Amino acid sequence: MKNIFTNKILISALSFSLFLAAGCQKEMDELKPAEFPKNPEVFIDDFSSGLNYAAFGNSDVMAFQVDNKETYSGTKSMRFEVPDYGSPAGAYAGGAFFTSVGRNLKGYTALTFWIKASQAANIDVLGFGNYLGDNMYEVSVSGVAVNTNWKKVVIPIPDPSKLSAERGMFFYSEGPENGKGYTFWIDEVKFENLGTVTFQSASILNGETRNIVSFVGLNQTIDGLKATFSLPNGIIQDVNLTPHYFTFSSTSQTVATVNNVGKVSTVGAGAAQIKATLGGKNALGALSINSLGVFSPAPTPTVNPSKVISLFSDAYTNVPVDYYNGYWAPYQTTGSADFVVNNDHVLNYTNFNFVGMQTSAPTVDAKSMSHLHMDIYIPGTLQAGAKFNIQILDFGANGTYGGGDDVMHETSVSAPTLKGQEWVRLDLPFSSMTNLTTRSHIGQIIFIGTNISNFYADNIYFYNDGSIIPAVPESAAPAPSHSAASVFSIFSDAYNNLTGTDFNPYWGQNTVVSQIPISGNNTLKYANLNYQGTQLGANIDVSTYAYLHIDYYSANSSLLKIFMISPGPVEVAYSLPVPTGIGTNTNGWKSIDIPLSSFAPVNLGSIFQFKIEGNGDIYFDNIYFRK
Amino acid sequence: MNTLNKNILSTLLLSTLFIMVLSSCEKDSVQTLPQRDWQLVWSDEFNGNAGVLPDAAKWKFDIGTGNSGWGNQELQFYTNRSENVSLDGSGNLVITALKESYSGSAFTSARIKTQGLFSPTYGKIEARIKTPFGPGIWPAFWMLGANVETAGWPACGEIDIMEIKGHQPHITYGSLHGPGYSGGNPITKAYGLQNSRFDADFHVFGIEWSENQIDFFVDGYLYNRVFSTDTPGAWAFNHSFFLILNIAVGGNFVGFPTDGTAFPQKMYIDYVRVYKAI
Repeated sequence: MKNIFTNKILISALSFSLFLAAGCQKEMDELKPAEFPKNPEVFIDDFSSGLNYAAFGNSDVMAFQVDNKETYSGTKSMRFEVPDYGSPAGAYAGGAFFTSVGRNLKGYTALTFWIKASQAANIDVLGFGNYLGDNMYEVSVSGVAVNTNWKKVVIPIPDPSKLSAERGMFFYSEGPENGKGYTFWIDEVKFENLGTVTFQSASILNGETRNIVSFVGLNQTIDGLKATFSLPNGIIQDVNLTPHYFTFSSTSQTVATVNNVGKVSTVGAGAAQIKATLGGKNALGALSINSLGVFSPAPTPTVNPSKVISLFSDAYTNVPVDYYNGYWAPYQTTGSADFVVNNDHVLNYTNFNFVGMQTSAPTVDAKSMSHLHMDIYIPGTLQAGAKFNIQILDFGANGTYGGGDDVMHETSVSAPTLKGQEWVRLDLPFSSMTNLTTRSHIGQIIFIGTNISNFYADNIYFYNDGSIIPAVPESAAPAPSHSAASVFSIFSDAYNNLTGTDFNPYWGQNTVVSQIPISGNNTLKYANLNYQGTQLGANIDVSTYAYLHIDYYSANSSLLKIFMISPGPVEVAYSLPVPTGIGTNTNGWKSIDIPLSSFAPVNLGSIFQFKIEGNGDIYFDNIYFRK
Repeated sequence: MNTLNKNILSTLLLSTLFIMVLSSCEKDSVQTLPQRDWQLVWSDEFNGNAGVLPDAAKWKFDIGTGNSGWGNQELQFYTNRSENVSLDGSGNLVITALKESYSGSAFTSARIKTQGLFSPTYGKIEARIKTPFGPGIWPAFWMLGANVETAGWPACGEIDIMEIKGHQPHITYGSLHGPGYSGGNPITKAYGLQNSRFDADFHVFGIEWSENQIDFFVDGYLYNRVFSTDTPGAWAFNHSFFLILNIAVGGNFVGFPTDGTAFPQKMYIDYVRVYKAI
């Protein structure tokens, strides 16, 4: 049978015809200069000339054996014993048959062989072009159905002209079926020139035209490669193949370039289309690039990482996020085409109607955060009526979606805050999200668009602008800056204090007073304040001073007043804003300088008591008069 | 087309009439036939704009599913929609079999015929066709006796000039159905291309038909000759016949389409020409 393809004449059902079929294959070998051998035989009844075998890594190295009992034709076949699941010998059967010297296979159109198995099965991968090297021209078919009858398999060569020195003759990979091993046999492995294998189509990007917005420096890889043939029995067969079989081209080299393996680089502004051919035939599918030129990244966040819980930013370490696009069927149309420019990861939501990101494992505890920040960029001119809504969903105490304890607030952003063609920085305060009554188990953030078809997002994080402070100060009050000569100090580590002051006279109050070190700085603490007096060590004359300076800190007070008292008693109150914490650099401490004139008609020439009224837990430091 | 002469694989029923030269190497087999003269009497070259239905003066449509899938358990619903049958603007008529739900059928296709418009008796009848392929695909260029509605089938006679089983896309069948030799037992002969397929390029399928004799050709190559004395029943071909072109999906002749059948499937017909002998 082996030389049949050189003879152009064949038989049929005809009862009598005259055939003269002399061999004539010699002339090629005799007349042409030496080149790689054209031997089409891989395994007929044994290893063909120069053929080697190597098992793949982690496979059962003994899976392949030459079999001299079960053959399709001749005396020997190849036997492959697929191991059971968990077999100590190896997880699967797989290996490559290759030659050390390449073969010229340009004259053939397909690798063919006969196959049977000890049971019906679908073999994971069968192919050629793998020689445990760079496998530039590897081709395979997947899920090959086999059964207990011999059956011919035809694996078309996508473009034979590429195979001038091919070393990969045949390879296979197959795991257990339903956890069980089995055996299959392959025989008569050879390359053939079959005119009955017809090319149908080739495709890149799965045959689709993919539209993308791109920027200079952005790279894509053309994937979804496939070639489709009709086999001699009329059946359609898809083959997997490498990009080396394709010839890629760009319609505009100044916008985008593509290399020989389908890596696309955007190099300028404008439009370009990346296409491909296979063996001179146009492949289905294209990458349509709309390059906006140089990418302007979102502003780099400046918030101290210690005050941030980041969901998506290159500036911070992000917490675990289940997904940035849940593809919520059936109503969501939003796709994702995220990109990376100059190591800046950017979310890119396309065909936008709504999209959600989820943080369920674990949920985000944002109770010490004050804001949600995100940067969004809407390409193109902002459409009339454009609206960008942000829903923040807290899963409630049960920490999971549903269960009746979820709360959600939706914030809507529109023009003039919303703009097109530039980064819009959104800082949404929780204090305005009245429906988000808890934020200890934030599980989803959902974006909903009106008249916005596409946007990029970056730097999505919760942060604390300083307004949310811990119950106990984590750092000392700011160090006073006034000169000692201008100060009459009552309570401070920075100055000499008035002696003899009683900071906890018993006036019937509930307040618990203590002095504690905060970062090594002695601090006056009022716990469970209702009211609290201070008996100064002497009646003091502060009439030459202008201000009373106080540093104070409270995470939970909603009312705080200080009274200056002169004998009589004459007392006047001054309200202190609470809770403290506004301002990002004072670590929750608030410094206040109260004009002493505020306390009129208190006699500044003879002050002898202070009193504090209010609620909550308060920390004080650096109580002094200054000029 | 060129591949045919090089790759012929043929069956010759009456080898006494022909000299078949099958020499070694690149020599082709050659037939020498007596010269005959023909005059064109009817044709459709299918020139026209893309999407246009075939000429209503020459062709009618069969619509629907017929009786029991046109007698063969065929699966398609025939329509006269341009999706199923129209000119391609490049000089071809295209019949397209689609996989779609339509009026209770899983496939649609088209079947056109010259019934009532043109029914020749004798002559040379040929069409240049690129066929569809795939399991369950059954393209045909054929004829039925014009008396089918009075005489019934198979008494009216049926001449299948080209029939292909899509799972053997390199083989065409030329067949005669008549009383006592119909359905699964026609007078038939297969003609195969070696190392090529009928869907790979256009091929000319034809008959030369005279009183008591029909010769079957592919690309001018005679592969079957049937005389009235060869049929087990009455010769049913000495009267007028009309022409039919169609793609059937499924049916007794070809079996069901499978997951390996590609859709849509298209049959391209470059021309249909009918000559009379002079």
